Amino acid sequence: MEEKDLKSMIESILMEMVGNKPEEAAEPARTEAPVQQAVVVAEPVLAELVQTTQPAEEETDSDECLDDITEVDLRKLLLVPDPADREGYMKMKEKTPARLGVWRAGPRYKTFTSLRFRADHAAAQDAVFSYVSEEFVKEMNLVAVETMCRDKDEYITRPDLGRQFSTDTIEYIKKHTTNQAKVQMMVGDGLSSAAIEANLRDIVPAIAQGLKMYGIEVGNILFVKHCRVPSMDMVGEATEADVVCLLVGERPGLVTAESMSAYIAYKPTVGMPEARRTVISNIHSGGTPAVEAGAHIAELIKTMIERQASGIDLKL
Amino acid sequence: MNEELLSVGIDMGTSTTQLVLSKLYIQNLGSAFSVPRLVITDKEVVYRSDICFTPMLADNRIDVGQIQTFVQEQYRKAGIRKEEIQTGAVIITGETARKENANEVLLSLSGFAGDFVVATAGPDLESIIAAKGAGAHTYSKEHSTSIVNIDIGGGTSNLALFSSGELLDTGCLDIGGRLIKVDQVTREITYIAPKIKQLIARRGIQLALGQRVTPTELEPIIQEMVKLLEESVGLRPPGDFYDIIVTNKGLKLDRTIPCISFSGGVADYIYQEAADDVFKFGDIGILLGRAIATSSLTQQMMVARAAETIRATVVGAGSHTTEISGSTITYTEESFPIKNIPILKLSWADESGSDEVLARAISDKLNWFKLNNDLQKVAIALEGKKSPSFLEVQKYAHGLHKGMAELLEKEYPLIVIVHHDIAKVLGQTLYALLGYKKDVVCIDSVQVDNGDYIDIGKPIAGGKVLPVVIKTLVFN
Repeated sequence: MEEKDLKSMIESILMEMVGNKPEEAAEPARTEAPVQQAVVVAEPVLAELVQTTQPAEEETDSDECLDDITEVDLRKLLLVPDPADREGYMKMKEKTPARLGVWRAGPRYKTFTSLRFRADHAAAQDAVFSYVSEEFVKEMNLVAVETMCRDKDEYITRPDLGRQFSTDTIEYIKKHTTNQAKVQMMVGDGLSSAAIEANLRDIVPAIAQGLKMYGIEVGNILFVKHCRVPSMDMVGEATEADVVCLLVGERPGLVTAESMSAYIAYKPTVGMPEARRTVISNIHSGGTPAVEAGAHIAELIKTMIERQASGIDLKL
Repeated sequence: MNEELLSVGIDMGTSTTQLVLSKLYIQNLGSAFSVPRLVITDKEVVYRSDICFTPMLADNRIDVGQIQTFVQEQYRKAGIRKEEIQTGAVIITGETARKENANEVLLSLSGFAGDFVVATAGPDLESIIAAKGAGAHTYSKEHSTSIVNIDIGGGTSNLALFSSGELLDTGCLDIGGRLIKVDQVTREITYIAPKIKQLIARRGIQLALGQRVTPTELEPIIQEMVKLLEESVGLRPPGDFYDIIVTNKGLKLDRTIPCISFSGGVADYIYQEAADDVFKFGDIGILLGRAIATSSLTQQMMVARAAETIRATVVGAGSHTTEISGSTITYTEESFPIKNIPILKLSWADESGSDEVLARAISDKLNWFKLNNDLQKVAIALEGKKSPSFLEVQKYAHGLHKGMAELLEKEYPLIVIVHHDIAKVLGQTLYALLGYKKDVVCIDSVQVDNGDYIDIGKPIAGGKVLPVVIKTLVFN
């Protein structure tokens, strides 16, 4: 998040807290007193934020940075003052990413909770609307293609186009992949480019190593921009691979914006029932670790080739 | 997918030997959209044997033949064949563990009872198993509290302290119901254990072998024993005899313990009053139980009712020793079960450095496991990292590969136990480094420590997981 945005957000929230309207923040002389008041009543976390903000108000070109509030581990933060059973509360929080024990200021969230919520929401939006960088695609040695979508807006509003490739693209895919390979790997930005950049470096070598153990080679890996899951069906038909494995960014939530899924299908075809896909979801640092998921996916691909089935047809 | 494991528990204690059969239910709790997550969801005792006195030979050795007959007899009564037993543990406890042929009896009996029935011994493990059988760990978890379970048997009192389901500490005292034996008819003292004799002498109590006694005359020595128990849980400061009565170690006592539960044969007479003859078992068990019931142990602490009393240890051995590994693991070895493998647990400093540091630490520490310069099979245990990068996994694998070179020369399989969920990728990396020629067993989600042994059973649940028993083998 931009430092400036965060600053103005903090200001407006502080204004709300002390009952002033956000517009009044424009006049420094009038805001000073309320801000000071806010410091007195605020939590230590907030006080720190405000203190680092104040000098920045005077010298606009300061290089100082705000502490990143998204670094705080929410599962270890209990804002309830004097809980009757702190240990029990913490145990409960360990079991869920839900924001428990956030306490309140009057009928509202406390400032930290409110800011953190917005920050996580912003990260989720960023993950959807940003692109996987070209350098990253090059670094991972991926063959870049894109679906029929022209931009993110079209990608969001026209799911049907996110599953299709132009005839030229199909030809390009055919030229850059091995025909009738045992497995065709592909990567799609999906709804989180952040997930791809966070996990790919670890999951791809783990899958490749696992497959090698079973004597299966990973050929060229495709990268699909504006990718929806069923685009793998067209890739399956174009490459005639036995198994197609798509690593795709999941729709981000407030817990993490870096969660990735693997959709894997035996000889996928356009229009096939969704039940023929096997999916491994929740691959991120707080879920299934990317390396371990990779090792598991390799074995799953081998099993699919052996049993010639995927999805609910594959009894594991 | 549901799977059942039939498990046997056998406890050879100071005074009694018993057997239970339990069913462990295993289920995949992972959703259809994630990696599998198999866990033991339920445990049920399906058969409880008769309780027999531990048979001894005239020369104070354990009568293994009679115990085998007992086991066979119980299997027959339960209507099961030995081949159906999939897992379980034989534990040798209390004074019986100190008999000359304890080790031999234990090993032969574990093989006799079933293919993957493991042999266990050691006062710490005994405390843990008894407390789990008594349900103390479940109680502490459900009530978010700390609880100490005291398993008071014939020869020893085993303490285990749990907090919110986690084991914190164990201890053991030489206090039990059969340390003084009294003839049921003549009321003469027929036996006094050495440490109790010493205590009697130090306190100047008038008691001797052959003396005819009444409960009132035994009262002073029983009160001394209760006092020692109170000291053991921190209700009074340790006195001059505390260090002597401790078997191997006591609890650390750095915190107040709110709750207590009792198991073992004596526990029955703490929880309920016995109306008939106090010497009906020919010992002081009933008197000891009564004395505890009116002591500060029950007055000052919150007493939780144990799920099992005299059977706590055997139920613990049958139901709470077998764990299952993580569900994403690597094994290429087929010759399970692998039994009695000692653990070499690396320190955090060993594994947080480079692969060279890791390799050197392993090869140095492997020297500990040399008997007459001959290296035994060893399993290497490490913490691992939560969500490591692929490069970090490579580092671990290279370090392990180099460090375990000596084990490889012996044609031993590489057995690696890692705490964090990375065993599948780590195992595959190791297997690749070995050119797919040597066997690898790499499992995770199991916690072990130096001094432990591991037994690994045949794969279950379609080969996804391996049953394991983490145990100790300590004979006094």
